[in-house]
Formats: sequence, C-alpha cells, structure tokens
Amino acid sequence: MAGQKMDAGLDILDVQIVDKDGRMSGVVDDLDFSWDEETGAPYVSSILSGPEALGTRLGGRIGLWMASVHARLHDREDPGPAKISIGVVKKISNHVEITVSREDLDISRSPDWARDTIISKIPGADRAVE
Amino acid sequence: MKKLIEITLGILTAIGGFVDIGDLVANAESGARFKMALAWVVVVGVIGICLFAEMAGRVAAVSQRPVFSLVRERLGAKVALANLGASFFINFLTLAAEIAGVALALELASSVNYLLWIPLVAFAVWLVIWRVRFSTMEKVFGLLGLCLLVFAVALWRFGPDWGALLSNAAHPTVPSGEGHPTYFYFAIALFGAAMTPYEVFFFSSGAIEEKWTKKDLVVERMNVYIGFPLGGLLSLALMALCSVILAPRGITVSTLSQATLPTVVVMGKLGLAVLLVGIFAATFGAALETGFSAGYTVAQYLGWQWGKFVRPKEAPRFHLVVLVSIIMGAFLVLTTIDPIKVTEYSIVLAAAALPLTYFPILVVANDPSYMGEHVNGRVTNALASIYLGILLIVSVATIPLMILTKAGS
Amino acid sequence: MIAPLLLLASCVAPDRTYEPYEADAVATAEDAASAAQTALLAVDASTRSNVTQNYLSIVLEEAEADASGVQGTFDSIQPPNSEADRLKNELDKLLDDAASVLEDLRIAIRRGELEKLPDIAHPLDDTAKKLDDFATAHER
Repeated sequence: MAGQKMDAGLDILDVQIVDKDGRMSGVVDDLDFSWDEETGAPYVSSILSGPEALGTRLGGRIGLWMASVHARLHDREDPGPAKISIGVVKKISNHVEITVSREDLDISRSPDWARDTIISKIPGADRAVE
Repeated sequence: MKKLIEITLGILTAIGGFVDIGDLVANAESGARFKMALAWVVVVGVIGICLFAEMAGRVAAVSQRPVFSLVRERLGAKVALANLGASFFINFLTLAAEIAGVALALELASSVNYLLWIPLVAFAVWLVIWRVRFSTMEKVFGLLGLCLLVFAVALWRFGPDWGALLSNAAHPTVPSGEGHPTYFYFAIALFGAAMTPYEVFFFSSGAIEEKWTKKDLVVERMNVYIGFPLGGLLSLALMALCSVILAPRGITVSTLSQATLPTVVVMGKLGLAVLLVGIFAATFGAALETGFSAGYTVAQYLGWQWGKFVRPKEAPRFHLVVLVSIIMGAFLVLTTIDPIKVTEYSIVLAAAALPLTYFPILVVANDPSYMGEHVNGRVTNALASIYLGILLIVSVATIPLMILTKAGS
Repeated sequence: MIAPLLLLASCVAPDRTYEPYEADAVATAEDAASAAQTALLAVDASTRSNVTQNYLSIVLEEAEADASGVQGTFDSIQPPNSEADRLKNELDKLLDDAASVLEDLRIAIRRGELEKLPDIAHPLDDTAKKLDDFATAHER
C-alpha cells in the first residue's frame, strides 16, 4: 500500500476503519505523509485516528477542546495522535480493513474508561442479546 | 403472517416518526384550526420520507454503511460535526419529549401526575435498549402502535361527509382568522415531522442490526412502502377526526388530552383504552428510536463500535451515550417544561437541518463503488432532486417564520 | 442559539394603543371559548358513553388550567386607555363566568359525582357562545 497515490490517500479520509474481526475501530481522522527518498513523491505512511487527530484537523475552539479533554482523561503525557501504520491496511473499499485486532492498535493504548468504569459494571454487559 | 412480521421495523420507524407525542398534538391542532387544508403536506412528507428512507435502507443493506457514517464521509469532518451537533440536539429534545409523552399517556390512564411517571419511563426505555432483542422490540412496539388505527375506525364510525373532507383537502384554503404565515408555519411543522432525520438514522442502522443484505431489498422496500404510508394515514385520520369534531366547536388543541377527545367522543371507554395503548406504544417507540439514534449518530461519526448485535461491553461508548442521553432527557422534562412545546420546536428546527442529512444519502445512493447495480434509478433521482430543493427552501424559511408567527400561536 | 429564539417567539410586547390590545382580547376570548368547549365536549361524551373518571378529571383539569392561564396572561397586559378598560371589564366578566363553572366541574369530578356534571356544565354553553360573539364582534 505504501506506494499509493496521494489523491487515493485523501479519498480514505473520514472512512470507517474495521479490524480483522469486522469490528468498528474508529475513523480515518487524518493522514501522515512521508516522501519517497528516490523520487521525492509523497505517500501515506500512516492513518491517524482518535480525538487528538480529529481535534487537530478540525482546528478552532472545538478542535482544541476535543484534543484537550481527551488528553486530560489519559495519564500519558502528550502521546500524540494514535497511528495505524499503512502496512497493516489490507483493503480499502467503502471501509478501511486492517489485518490486526483493534486491541493491538495504538487507538486502544489507554484503558477504555467508558467500558471499565461504567458499562461493564451494569448487569448484563457481558451477555449477548441474541 | 411471516411477511407481516418482517415489516415491523418500518412500522415502528414510521409510527415513532409520524404519530409521536409532538405529532399527535400537531396533527390534531392543524385539523382543528385548518381542517384538511394541510392534508397535502402529509402526503408530500410521506412521499419524501419514503424516497429517502428507501435509499438509506438500500445503502445500508448493500454496503453496510449507516446514514451518519455516510454523512461523515461525504461532508467531511467539519460540516458533519455541525450536522452532528444540530441532529444530536434535536434528537435529544425529541427523546426528552417522548419520555414525557409516555408519562402523559400513563397519566391519562391512571390520573397519577405524569412527572411521577418520568423516572420509571426513562428506566424502562433504557432497559429495553439494554436488554431486549432488537427484533422483539420492533415487533412489540410496532404492532402495539397499530392500535392507533382506532383514529381511522373512529372517523369511519363518526360518518363524516367524505366528499366535503376530500374537497377540502384537494382545495386547501386558509380559514378566516388564520394568517398565511401561521398556515405555512404549520405546513413546515408537519413536513418536518414527516421527514424528521432520526427516522433515517434509526431505519438505516436498524437494517444493519437486522443484518439485512442485498437479498433483503424486497423486505426493505416493503418496510418503507407499507410503514411510512401507514404512519401518514394515521396522521391524516387524526387530522380529519379533529377537523369534523373539534373545528366546528372552535376548540384549538394544546394538550394530549384534547387530541384524544374526538376518539373518546365517538368510541367511548373502549376506544380510549385502545387509543392509550396505541399512544403508549407510539411514544415509547419514538423514545427508543431517538434513544438509539443518540448513540448511533455519535458512534458513527467517531467510528466507535455501535449496535445491539454485539455485547454491550463491546460497544461501551455507544451504550454510554444512550444512557447519558436518557438520564439528561428525563431531567429536562422533570423541570416541568411543556413536552409538547419541546417537540414542536424540535420538529421545526429539524426542518432547518434536513438537507445536511439527506444530501449525503442521495450522493452515496448514486455511487456505483458502494451500490454496484443497486444505484438509484432516474425517476428516484429526479424526485430526490426536487425534494432536496424543497428541503433547502424549507430550511431557509423555517426560522424567520418561527419568529414571525411567534411559533404558530 | 435556541434560547433567545424561544424568548423572541414567546415574548409579549406591551400594547401602547387600543388596537393591539383589542387583538389580544380577541385571542384571549377564543382560547377561553376553546377551553370551555373542550369541557362541554368531555361532559357530553361522559353522558353518552361511560368514560373513565380518571380520564375525565384530567381533561377537565387541563381545560380549567388553560382558561385560567389565558386569563392570567390577558390580565397582565396593561390596558392603554379607558376604551380598553371597558373592553377589559366586558371580557373579564365572561372569563370569570367560565372559570367558575370549570372550577365547579373539577370539584364535582374529583368527588366522583359524574351524574351532576351535565347540570353544572349547562351555563358554560351560554358563556362559550358569548365569548365567541365577543371575539367575532372585535375581530378585524
């Protein structure tokens, strides 16, 4: 995927990311570019996903607020936006499919506050309805 | 019978969209004040929602992409965020009002003040979303909502002059004592109610919850083409009933009890019982629809796991948004704010935000890379373009009319 | 954004001249007549088919609340001149008549005296007509 053209890269902005088990794992909030050393042509090196990436891209007051709220909820100091290497991207259709599980992604680097503090404490959180 | 059960998603979506608490009062009020002069708006609205709900459902079945995911992708992060803000806010107001609506129906049945019912209702709504299987929920509330057909039965038993009703509907005139701005304000409210965006959020996400695929397109169309016209029929029956019973007495409708009165006059105690079951199911269904939509819109914008097809622990943030929205909604209506006013405003404000939701659906429904052979036909596209034009005009006219008419008073 | 809009939509400007005051009086009479007719229709329904007491009590209470609400709003508007004073007196008389019947209806239904409702409601018919006439006479 590394040699992908830039406009194709821009095409995947704002597209849903799905992990190897078909679970929803965020949206392509922004892209990281690198330059090919020989030709100097830019290519997409990683997908950025999560509130820091989105906040930075949105900019303005809402963007800053989004990024800062997220940063405050997490203990690590200035972790930077979560990255997904373009190498794990399996297929780009109307979803971006990746070859790993969402737990192994950078976006899952912090504990899931909503799950651990609230939802998993409600009876029935672990039971499938069907 | 099996086929009938398969269309309950459409029935629940439509009943929750067309005859929820705000619409019950808005339809009754427009019948009482304008007789059938606004009936055409319901027809225009039904065609519009059929058109776009069918597209949204088809896109969901073929590409497994729900509406707000399309909104994000096609409008980009910024504009989609503005749409999310508006849609979420409107949806939240509606959710709050529906919780109060269920409580008002229980008040009419029990004469226990509706405020006392609100915490219980909010808990019940959450519990259904948390624990009840999606298809069971559809069937129970969709089919119970059919009790509202009592409006049509009451109208038929009252035996109105059908010719006069029809000609009034076919040749709409603004009654003396009502101004044109008020007439158009009501027209926008009815149109906004028919095309309210949470219907497509819920219907398209529901299609994915139900695991519809290309093979289910026939079922998908049946849901749309039976469910929404049925919702419209119920609206029209209530409007007609109020136009023949309330309008001649000069009664204007501002409460749920007034909206129920014509049915009770014609059908008595039994009619009241059936009607209250229907109102309970419709408002509860709308509360479920908007409760789910709160979670669907936010989760789909941010790419979080959503839906009841996974364990709640697998979609924690989706369930958190739903839970918090229900709690906040219950608090909002516990302030004794008039829930009917809340939905009336939310319907009208929804009208202003409609193009931002329906435009991306139309674009993707025409994209062969998503839809393959199932892209829109020419007729659908022509009609949809006309409707986008109408939506744009409505969205521009809404706020000025709201101020000019003091919100239709 | 919505808060100022709602305020703007619902605010009542002070009436400095007779004409807008008269228009407010007409709207008040229409709303009060609507509340009175609602109560009459509910009582009528209760005589023709047995309606539950719960339901009836809520319809009647809401009709009473409606009527007293519009009366309260109207009374809070300052009449601009003596012509308006006369108009106010005329309308207030009708509003009081309606309010007192609606109150009696509420008391009767709370005591479960359903059979007395038609007699109590009877004068309301006349008051509702007078309110209508008032509205028609002053409508422009």
